[in-house]
Amino acid sequence: MSYPAPTMFPMAGGTTFDEIGWLRANSPAWRLLRADSAPLVLSFLYRVFVEENIRSIAATQLASRLDDELYALNERIPRSFPKPAKAYLDDWASPESGWLRKYYPEGSDEPHFDATPAVEKALQWVRALGERDFVGTESRLNTIFDLLRQIVFGTETDPQARIDELRRQRQQIDDEIARVEAGDLSMLDSSGVRDRYQQFSATARELLADFREVEENFRKLDRQLREKIAGWHGGKGELLDDVLGSRESIAGSDQGRSFQGFYDFLLSQARQEELSELIARVHQLAEVSDRDPRLRQIHYDWLEAAERTQATVRQLSEQLRRFLDDQVWFENRRVIDLLRDIEARALRLRDERPVALTMDIDASAPEIRLPMERPLYAPKRKPRIDSSGIRPAGEDDETDPTVLFEQVYVDPGPLRGAVRAALRRAPQVGLADLIAAMPLSHGVAELVTYLSLRDDAFTIVYDDARTEQVSWTDPDGRGRTATLPRVTFTRATGSTP
Amino acid sequence: MTEPDLPAAVIQLMKGVVYRDTHERAWNHLLHLQPQVRDYVEVLGLQVVIDEGEGYAFLRQRPADEDDDQQLPRLIPRRSLSFHVSLLLALLRKKLAEFDAQGGDTRLMLTRAQIAEMLRVFLPATSNEARLLDQIDAHINKAAEFGFLRQAKNGDQVYEVRRILKAFVDGQWLADFDAKLAGYASLLAGEGDDEE
Repeated sequence: MSYPAPTMFPMAGGTTFDEIGWLRANSPAWRLLRADSAPLVLSFLYRVFVEENIRSIAATQLASRLDDELYALNERIPRSFPKPAKAYLDDWASPESGWLRKYYPEGSDEPHFDATPAVEKALQWVRALGERDFVGTESRLNTIFDLLRQIVFGTETDPQARIDELRRQRQQIDDEIARVEAGDLSMLDSSGVRDRYQQFSATARELLADFREVEENFRKLDRQLREKIAGWHGGKGELLDDVLGSRESIAGSDQGRSFQGFYDFLLSQARQEELSELIARVHQLAEVSDRDPRLRQIHYDWLEAAERTQATVRQLSEQLRRFLDDQVWFENRRVIDLLRDIEARALRLRDERPVALTMDIDASAPEIRLPMERPLYAPKRKPRIDSSGIRPAGEDDETDPTVLFEQVYVDPGPLRGAVRAALRRAPQVGLADLIAAMPLSHGVAELVTYLSLRDDAFTIVYDDARTEQVSWTDPDGRGRTATLPRVTFTRATGSTP
Repeated sequence: MTEPDLPAAVIQLMKGVVYRDTHERAWNHLLHLQPQVRDYVEVLGLQVVIDEGEGYAFLRQRPADEDDDQQLPRLIPRRSLSFHVSLLLALLRKKLAEFDAQGGDTRLMLTRAQIAEMLRVFLPATSNEARLLDQIDAHINKAAEFGFLRQAKNGDQVYEVRRILKAFVDGQWLADFDAKLAGYASLLAGEGDDEE
């Protein structure tokens, strides 16, 4: 049974018969829940896109991960998922499903995938099906009071009313200070803590999940704007007034303003530190049973997601600006009109063969022939490998293979950390000074690891003209000195470690 | 970046289109030395076209002044395109315009199948599928030769429509194409009349 498409898209879920019917047939999230392969799709996409908070992954990487997953599942029940991983991914990204978004990012020939908000919605629904052992209510009532107060007093124009409210709050705080001074600390009991923590975790997760939808909304706005621009028949001036002034523009819309407010709020240094500390301390409380370790990092995840969305908004605005550029605009309109004519004429000539019509086009550079640049043929030298003298190790061999197993492995992580710490204090630090401050504990292997450190935050500069000497004591007690060109670590331009 | 290097910029321009993403150094030098490059190539009767927004630059023949008697010999060759290749370029330009109108990404990627679909409508109906696809392949390769299509390196038969197409298949070129088509059609109609 087909349902009429709603005249206005259901805002936050329709409730009439037609609206629900239409949603059931057309909403990608509902389609996902109805699909037979829902357990595979939901569990796999959850792992990659939600748990690891990946927003963009290359096709080959995603396909190989799905391959592993399918292999494990097919081991349990043979042939339950017969198609190759790539076929599943293309299915999930097709317009009929709408669960993955496939696109080509700048600088790569490989398509990349991202989950759509439909997946987030479906996942939220599935997770909410799990039974909660207790449903907190007090915390949410408190929040409701706070929100209502914010709305009422934020829109209050009468200064006296505001002053009265502020005085009332001050009185409350004074009473509380008196109580605490008298030794009466009102502690939050464990149910209160759990109640509030439950609300925190639900809201935090929802917020993270919503970022995908925010990005999708921005894209939708951009598409609407472009359609409007492309179909505009009036003058350019009116178009600009309409587009840039209205609430439809990306930054001016409700979505844009709210997101910008969130981003500014989150990005201030003070807030970041406060959040980190608060989250760390909350998780140390005994009453908080930590079922989801991701909640400890949630503020970093928010920041990452918000930065990504911000990057998308920037990109969209930039392209839109270019699209609105005078010449581009006029040219595009002219091109489209001409192409309509060309297509019509070409169709009429379809059955002519051959069409003896040629067009000329300029090349993009003068033609320069470089016949002397061709190298002469040099036959490749094949290395000769003689494998005849190899035999398995016997008892009477003199070489002791245990030396092979006593390799020293130096972890570059702490070394990188030490360099970054030193570079926080000074813009550059010499290797000799660094080693004088932190002596080598693994001998020459550690020295070589220092020389091979790679990091975005610093660069290594070698000065062949001068040499320096570095000394350390070996693990077996011998003192050693090495002479090497002077090595300096400098802060990479444009970054602060 | 070291000091602006005129040779780096000009030599790269002489070899072909300078793209911001593939020839980063030459691009930077070029941006810094625009007046010098302009003067340099003017001697050869060329002019440099730089589109910073789109990120490409290339050389073009300088239009001859009317009052200048001596015509400098052409350095930039003019290539001749068959009807179908011209049509393919026009259709690709249309796809690019539509793509821009939808927004979002900047790279238009089309599969070989999509290009074939697009072009097939304008080719005579034939029962020999394979030969048709071979012909379309030949047209695609010609377009790739000019640098307007670029095959994606992972060998998926996906092509990127390069935005440089906008600079060469522009309003003027399309208007010429349209005029030629109109001329050809009326010529055929004229012959038809004669035969009757």
